[in-house]
Amino acid sequence: MDNSSIITSSPIVKISNLDKYFGRLHVLKNINLEVPERQVVCLIGRSGSGKSTLLRCINFLEEPSHGNIEVDGIKVEGGEKGKQHRQLIHEVRLKTGMVFQEFNLFPHMSVLENVIEGPVTVKNMDRKKAVELAEQNLDRVGLLFKKDEYPNRLSGGQKQRVAIARALTMEPRVMLFDEPTSALDPELIGEVLNVMKKVAMEGMTMIVVTHEMGFAREVADRVLVMAEGELVEDGEPEQIFTAPKDPRTEALIIRYRAGGG
Amino acid sequence: MGIFSKEGQIQKSQADLLYDIQLRKESRFRTNVGISWFVLLFILVIIFSGQEFRIGSMYFSGIKIDTEFMVNNLAYISRGLGETIRISLLSICLATVLALLAALGRLSTFPPVYALSTFYVSLIRGTPLYLQIFFFFLALPQLGIILPGFVAGVIALGLNYGAYMSEIFRAGLSSVDKGQREAAIAIGMTPTQTMRRVVLPQALRFAIPPVGNEFIAMTKDSALVSATGFVHELMWRATKVGRAQFHNLEALIMAAIFYWIMTLLLTYIQSRIEARLAKGER
Repeated sequence: MDNSSIITSSPIVKISNLDKYFGRLHVLKNINLEVPERQVVCLIGRSGSGKSTLLRCINFLEEPSHGNIEVDGIKVEGGEKGKQHRQLIHEVRLKTGMVFQEFNLFPHMSVLENVIEGPVTVKNMDRKKAVELAEQNLDRVGLLFKKDEYPNRLSGGQKQRVAIARALTMEPRVMLFDEPTSALDPELIGEVLNVMKKVAMEGMTMIVVTHEMGFAREVADRVLVMAEGELVEDGEPEQIFTAPKDPRTEALIIRYRAGGG
Repeated sequence: MGIFSKEGQIQKSQADLLYDIQLRKESRFRTNVGISWFVLLFILVIIFSGQEFRIGSMYFSGIKIDTEFMVNNLAYISRGLGETIRISLLSICLATVLALLAALGRLSTFPPVYALSTFYVSLIRGTPLYLQIFFFFLALPQLGIILPGFVAGVIALGLNYGAYMSEIFRAGLSSVDKGQREAAIAIGMTPTQTMRRVVLPQALRFAIPPVGNEFIAMTKDSALVSATGFVHELMWRATKVGRAQFHNLEALIMAAIFYWIMTLLLTYIQSRIEARLAKGER
């Protein structure tokens, strides 16, 4: 996997001149980023550095104030309005799968219903076909045997794995993970990271906001470091973890080595 | 601590023993409350029995009521039950629809819709229900719109309760976590799909118990519709025979008993529904 970042193909995600304000607060400052196909990118940084906001801008859960986002050839200008803009955002969302810190499974639906909800409601997929696809993906995350359970009967780790299966069943071009293990008990983190690793191995393009430095170092092709709304460092994991160039990265790595969060 | 044994006796953990004590305490409390209820009911019956008795030097005289009148008019008054139930059912249906629309309007980012919703709630909550009933029955004919008392009553009750219940639905909608909307949006759902498939089912489940309370309250407020004089429900029938024969006391007691029994029944049904909801998945 080491050399996959060297392969140059057309980017799946391209972010140009992105700015984001919350009120008067400038949370993302002129971000430029290209993520090629099959690349696994980990986005690290202290809390409040803007990494979640950047991720949420990619599928427009946050509307960028300025700049544009291109996902698999669909280009959307931030800060615009109107029907065509909404249609483009919709298309971008169909190409991105998202996994949240708090899982956000639908509590009134069984595991299987959670997973087929997207294909059936959004893509108008034939129910039988959707179930087939959903079962495949539940098998991928190792939870096919829980398909008729309701989310409240699952552990946190299982919930997150179902959430991953739900996102995968939309057959996205890129998966976005927003601190997927931060809400989990420590002993449940491993099973989720393993599933994510498997999905990465299968060739999915992934952007992962995480505090799991071990995962970043082992699985990522590329690590991005954010601080105060800017991308301050961009490189291969080995370089970032052993020879950080930016002092803020260094501080982050030292904190991690010392066992801090 | 856990299990401790006393030479071959049945072992019970300390937790079990403490739990038993707690259960016994709770059941004793319930029994005593039940007995007290009966005593209170008994006293109420004695008061209205017309009996005269003395305790020591104190002399008591119960209120004399004409039981013959009550027996004779039982059939007539009870025939109002059906009408009371019909008004309440229709009104609660209308109120539910209006409340849901008003609550959704309250979420709208389109100013006229938001304004319409808040305007409706403010206007209705700012005026008496009694006035609203008369408005639909007595004021509208002046504009050439003549509504039968029953229809005017249902509209007024529905509009009134709709305004109050919209707060319930609003609370239900805001009880749904923001993450639920985001998850729905992230898989590509439109706002309508998000509302229909994800938010509403969860909000409605939250709203069922308080809507039950409103229904019970409305059953009693339906008595106000008798004021139109053309809806022959419980209250109308009770006041009619009561006034005609100057037996208002007996007639109103009978109506009160009917309302009370209905309320008890509805409360019981509601508690069953709540218990079932609590058991189900969340």
